[in-house]
Amino acid sequence: MLADIRRFVGRISDRFKRGFYGPTFRCPVCHFVLAAVDADGNGLLVCPVCGAVIEIEAVYGHIVPVVLDMELYRPQPKLRLHPMATHLPIGLFPVALLGAVTLLAATLLQRLGLASAVPGGRASVLASAVLVLLVLSVGASLATLASGLWDWNFRYRRRSYRQIRLKIACSIVFLAVGAGAIALHASGLVFAASGLMHLDSAAGLVAALAYLVALGANMVVLATLGHLGGTLVFGR
Amino acid sequence: MDFNLTPQQQERVEAAREFTREWISPNAAAHDRSGEFPLAICREAFKRGLMNSHIPTEYGGQHEAVLDHCMVMEELATGCSGIATAIDGNGLSQYPVILAGTDDQKRRFLAPMLEELTFCAYAVTEPEAGSDVARVRTTAAKVGNDYMLNGVKWWITNGSVASWYFILARTGDELTGFIVPADSPGIVRGPKEINLGQHASNTVRVTLEDVKVPEANRLGAEGKGFDIAMATFNHTRPGVAAGANGITKAALNIALSYAKRRRTFDKKLISNQGISFKLAEMMTRLDAARFLTYKAAWLFDQGQDNAREAAQAKWFAADVAMSAAIECAQVLGGYGYTQEMPAEKLIRDAKIYQIYEGATEIQKMIIVSKLLRMREVH
Repeated sequence: MLADIRRFVGRISDRFKRGFYGPTFRCPVCHFVLAAVDADGNGLLVCPVCGAVIEIEAVYGHIVPVVLDMELYRPQPKLRLHPMATHLPIGLFPVALLGAVTLLAATLLQRLGLASAVPGGRASVLASAVLVLLVLSVGASLATLASGLWDWNFRYRRRSYRQIRLKIACSIVFLAVGAGAIALHASGLVFAASGLMHLDSAAGLVAALAYLVALGANMVVLATLGHLGGTLVFGR
Repeated sequence: MDFNLTPQQQERVEAAREFTREWISPNAAAHDRSGEFPLAICREAFKRGLMNSHIPTEYGGQHEAVLDHCMVMEELATGCSGIATAIDGNGLSQYPVILAGTDDQKRRFLAPMLEELTFCAYAVTEPEAGSDVARVRTTAAKVGNDYMLNGVKWWITNGSVASWYFILARTGDELTGFIVPADSPGIVRGPKEINLGQHASNTVRVTLEDVKVPEANRLGAEGKGFDIAMATFNHTRPGVAAGANGITKAALNIALSYAKRRRTFDKKLISNQGISFKLAEMMTRLDAARFLTYKAAWLFDQGQDNAREAAQAKWFAADVAMSAAIECAQVLGGYGYTQEMPAEKLIRDAKIYQIYEGATEIQKMIIVSKLLRMREVH
């Protein structure tokens, strides 16, 4: 069962990768997966991980990379803001999602007449904590995006890499969806004053569903961002 | 003697080359790593008419000449010989039916393969009978109008995906060929074998436990199985040699591309005589292997005995592919030894050409057996 799910997810991500990256090859030095389309007009590409200057040529559809040089002494930002900022959303957002799911479970348990999972009126505290965590994580992601663009400009010399393009796109999606989730949370459409979810009315149900879907989708986006960032730092 | 390709041949080669560049080469490394059967690629090859091309026209096929097929096969194997084997595997098992099947058998087993993508497999090899086919121990006992088959077939290409098998079994002291549908009760397919190379090709064990086969599925007369199995190789060995030529071509192209761009001692790698001579030797050996292959194929198409030439082509092309793959890795230096470059895969893939469809030593035995019947060589 678990293997089937993994295979299914793998197939979807493989299809996405094929479409997004196009023909790929591995850096002969650090084994990082590079997209052939990222090469410049002369067929040259600098590996973002190890700095190998690679010339590529497609021979019968096989990409044959040749290492011509190594880019040494790459500029490092003095203040490593991006690595520091990036761990805030990665650390805080999953806790916010866990809180929201706990509140959903508490609401459902109460509707079923079972004891509340969050007793003693603590649901409102948890709901407030979820909001604070969401604001902190989405706010920090703004700093992450800004510092990431700064790094791309200096460390990677604004070179076009599929991975960095995907990271920028995912960051913008995370910000937009996160802002939407915060707005929904703060509007009172999703949570009552008690901290439990409004599931009685159709509007409340739709709002709660949209809120949870937004958080779930953002978790996937965040995981993708973390994975991409990790591979850019540590390679394969 | 005309060495030019006809416009039809040129068109077919171009189509195969385009398919290779578009579908096979970009996916070769991924299939090599995962070992996944290239079903999507086979589906596309089927759509483009690159599969089952030798089925006779009266059953809806193209009746492609072996020479033309060799040219196509060389192109496909240049991308990945494992994927090319998966695409071309049907040919080996279809040919016994083309050669010895009745009209009814051809209509039942060949014609449907042109309508939708299906596979078949040539199941002759056994754990104790490889090069020595006469040692086959699978039995086919006559029970009424049926045969009851029992035995183990080993290293069966496309064995997991086949919808029918050509099976060689012992009827008394002699060998007989049978067409056995894969859904027959008693057929058990083993797991995919993890081989040295050609990971995209599906190779499995097939066990037969009291498999009932109607007499209508017997190929030819009882006891004619060995002859059918051997005659099949005269048709398929030029194709196998062409596959090996594809590996040589890939090795040469990769080495050439690398040598022209890599710099050592302030000059291009190819400027070093030690490297450039390797490329010259690879090119010459490739041409020699091609000419042997094409001659073996042409003789078959002319209806002449090509057993010696097919053996020569298969042996020589396999050895050339092996040496070309090793030389390619040498030209690439340290990079040739890593998994990130295609050279190491070529070495792993090339080795099987010296083994399957008759090991190199068997090919030499065939050549000698033909020489023994000659008074002098002209």
